[in-house]
Amino acid sequence: MMGGVVLQIDFFAWLQGIPSWLYGVIQWIFGIVSGIFYWIWGIFTWIWAAVFDVANFFFLIRAILFPGLVFILMTIIFAVWFTRKLWGRIQDRRGPFHLGKYGGLQLFADAIKLVAKETIIPDKARRWMYRFLPSMLLLVVLIPFAFIPWDPIWFIADLSVSLVLVFAFLTAVPVVALLSGWISGSKYTLIGGFRAANNQFASEIPLIISTIGPAMLAGSLSVMAITQAQSNIWFIFLLPINVATFLVAAIASVGTFPFDAPVADSEVIFGWRTEFSGIYFTLTYFAEFAEQALYSALIVALFLGGFQGPAFLPGSVIFIIKFLIVFFFFVVVTSSFHRLRQDQIVYFCWKYLLPLSILNVVLVMLGIANIPALQAILGIGG
Amino acid sequence: MSPDILDETTEIWFGPQHVSAHGWAAKLTLVGDFVVECDPNAGYFHRSAEKCLEFRNFRQGALIMERLCMLEAFLAEYPYVQAVEKIAGLEVPERAKVMRTIMMEASRIHSLQFWWGQFSAELGLFAMLLWPWVDREFFLDAFEELSGSRHAVSYSTPGGVKYDFNDKVLEKLDIAIARFEDRMPVMRDMLMGSPTFRARTEGIGQYTLKQGLKFGLSGPPIKACGLPMDLRKDAPDPNLAYDMIDWEVPVTESEEHPGESDAYDRMVQRFREMETSVEIIRKLLPLVPEGPIVDPKARGKSNRLPEGEAYGRVEGTRGISTLWLKTTEKAQTPYRAKIRGPCFNSYYSLKHLVPGAKFADFIVVFGSLDPYPGWWDR
Amino acid sequence: MGFFRNLGDIFQILRHVFRQVMSRPFTYFYPFEDREYPERTRGRHIHVREKCTACMQCVRACPNVAISIDKSDKHYEKDAALFFDYTRCIFCGMCTQACRFDALFHTKVVDISEGEREDLLYGPDKIETLDRDPLEWRGRRFR
Repeated sequence: MMGGVVLQIDFFAWLQGIPSWLYGVIQWIFGIVSGIFYWIWGIFTWIWAAVFDVANFFFLIRAILFPGLVFILMTIIFAVWFTRKLWGRIQDRRGPFHLGKYGGLQLFADAIKLVAKETIIPDKARRWMYRFLPSMLLLVVLIPFAFIPWDPIWFIADLSVSLVLVFAFLTAVPVVALLSGWISGSKYTLIGGFRAANNQFASEIPLIISTIGPAMLAGSLSVMAITQAQSNIWFIFLLPINVATFLVAAIASVGTFPFDAPVADSEVIFGWRTEFSGIYFTLTYFAEFAEQALYSALIVALFLGGFQGPAFLPGSVIFIIKFLIVFFFFVVVTSSFHRLRQDQIVYFCWKYLLPLSILNVVLVMLGIANIPALQAILGIGG
Repeated sequence: MSPDILDETTEIWFGPQHVSAHGWAAKLTLVGDFVVECDPNAGYFHRSAEKCLEFRNFRQGALIMERLCMLEAFLAEYPYVQAVEKIAGLEVPERAKVMRTIMMEASRIHSLQFWWGQFSAELGLFAMLLWPWVDREFFLDAFEELSGSRHAVSYSTPGGVKYDFNDKVLEKLDIAIARFEDRMPVMRDMLMGSPTFRARTEGIGQYTLKQGLKFGLSGPPIKACGLPMDLRKDAPDPNLAYDMIDWEVPVTESEEHPGESDAYDRMVQRFREMETSVEIIRKLLPLVPEGPIVDPKARGKSNRLPEGEAYGRVEGTRGISTLWLKTTEKAQTPYRAKIRGPCFNSYYSLKHLVPGAKFADFIVVFGSLDPYPGWWDR
Repeated sequence: MGFFRNLGDIFQILRHVFRQVMSRPFTYFYPFEDREYPERTRGRHIHVREKCTACMQCVRACPNVAISIDKSDKHYEKDAALFFDYTRCIFCGMCTQACRFDALFHTKVVDISEGEREDLLYGPDKIETLDRDPLEWRGRRFR
């Protein structure tokens, strides 16, 4: 070959290739952008198709409107109003009156006032957990409402183990309470958090054992199936003591009045909620009422036959009427006794409630095994 | 519990911003859930009443006294009035004596009703906070009809009383007492009949009679131990009408632990106090004689007092409240007034009663002794 | 059995509470409803200037120095302008008892709260007049 340097590429061909290279780059970028676009569009179309698919559409309506989020929130708002009005009556007062008809809008006024308040986070508090825990508490309490059978058709979810799931979620409540007592950085909140854990430690076992009776009679762990099994006879007539133990254990688990050692305002100022202010306090307080409403609904579903009732009423109306009655009793029982000390709560729950609920389980087992008439009424195979 | 947990103590301030600490603060040392040390602190409610008394003349001083404890205004203002009467040598008309006594007993009932509502609220039952307070309103109505004010009545004055009974006052007093007796069985069921109340109060804050006397307690906390120590009976005041009628000093003798008293006994004792007060009022009402309500010379005589010192004392709702008054020659104001309230002793006896109790029981011990901050922070 | 006695007590308590729920509440809506105040109610004062003789007895009787008098301000023969400081007044009634000429009285008006502290210093024009009937307020007639 000849001497000298010879270009390895054809410079002019390279020069001519630049536009097509640029075009390739632009096409590559366009591909990425359009890919993202089509991906997002695909998500939208998928959601769109999912929503307007008939089964999904009705599920969404159930989950969001009735008996889902909106209905549950309205129920709890009503429950708060009802509780305050009833407390007022029991204490010889009138309760909220001025805003709305019979004070119905009082809760909204209180919520606006509380939300508008300055949030004061103590110096020693863990800031992010302080912000996160109250909303988590409300979420944990709201999820089990999905398993409450408000209506034979209009219900959100029916799992074969929904009863267990409900209690699995509710067990997390005192953990959140203990955590928020811990992270608030105050001695009073810490004492209150431990008292909340103590309450659950005392009340959870009788509470869960009390639900074994209806579950065995119905032969299922699904709340829906337990409700449907009561078409011939309500379980309150078969298990009257069980209802009492469940109600008392539920009150102890929520931590309202006779068992309100976690938030006893004359002992520990407001227990684990002491340092919460503004919106965080609102969330925790709302969660307590949500828990009360949840337990009332569970009593209706487990013992009072749920939506079963006279045929001319829709199932949800029957359920709501029963719910109101049970909630009334819940409030009356919570506002007529002096507060128990936390060791007395454990003593009471384990000495009286636990043997009674276990006795009920034994009686139910003997009854199912030995009484053929019972099997005929309940429609279960022995 | 492992030993290292027992070694760790926590100090916690109960007050002054605590919900149930209204004007006081106690430093508690906790081991686990038990209080091992209690350090009550006074001074959060100090209004320098003794110094204020030195700048008021002898008719105005009772106003300061009744503001020490507004809940027993008729009783709280009396030691000062009595001391002034002793120094000035004033004669009190018969009518004023009986009227004073009746209103003091009514004041005792309304004060105890306030206490028992507050005690229930401390134990977490808010229905029982407001039920007794409703009944108490009727007594306040009677006080208002009598003197024009519901709480700060300013009723006694040296040499008599300021306002006369009339038909409306007697009628309202009758309504109040009838309502009180009507509601008594319900209150008994709600408090003494309540299993939760018994569980919270029995065996809490227990002390023997000897201990109680050593603490310097008086009034219901001592009578709950079984000792009928009562100034109304032991040292009958010539200016009051307690010796005009027959009545028994109420005492509570517990069957389980005779000679000792716990929070439950003190509750029962206060119920009996109220019943005795009703009995005294019922017996005294027909005995109100006709006549003037105030010594006509009292106004002139109480302007300037001779030199002397006197000791006024009365069996209050919470114990014996006394006042020592010293005057100089032709004085318009006292030279020195020393108040001894009943509640200083009951408050500082927490130092010995609380250690060993659970943290949750601290407020029960406190509430059952019924201390009022106005009486220890003069 | 202690257990059954306690159970009976619990049902008794629930009975009382239930009865309470059904009964009429005791309270009333204060600003909109009011009660009749008794004759001797110690509310805000009223000064009758025609009868006042500027004898200073009310000023001397007051334990809290709430009253002051301006003697140079005269409308009638012997009267004086009365300045009342309701931030200091404790409504003890000593001044009305000290007045021998029926010139100073308590009225039944008890709700004299104001937004501003200065509004509670009642001058001679304010203490001599009663701007409203005690049973009428905010355009409503009370029972």
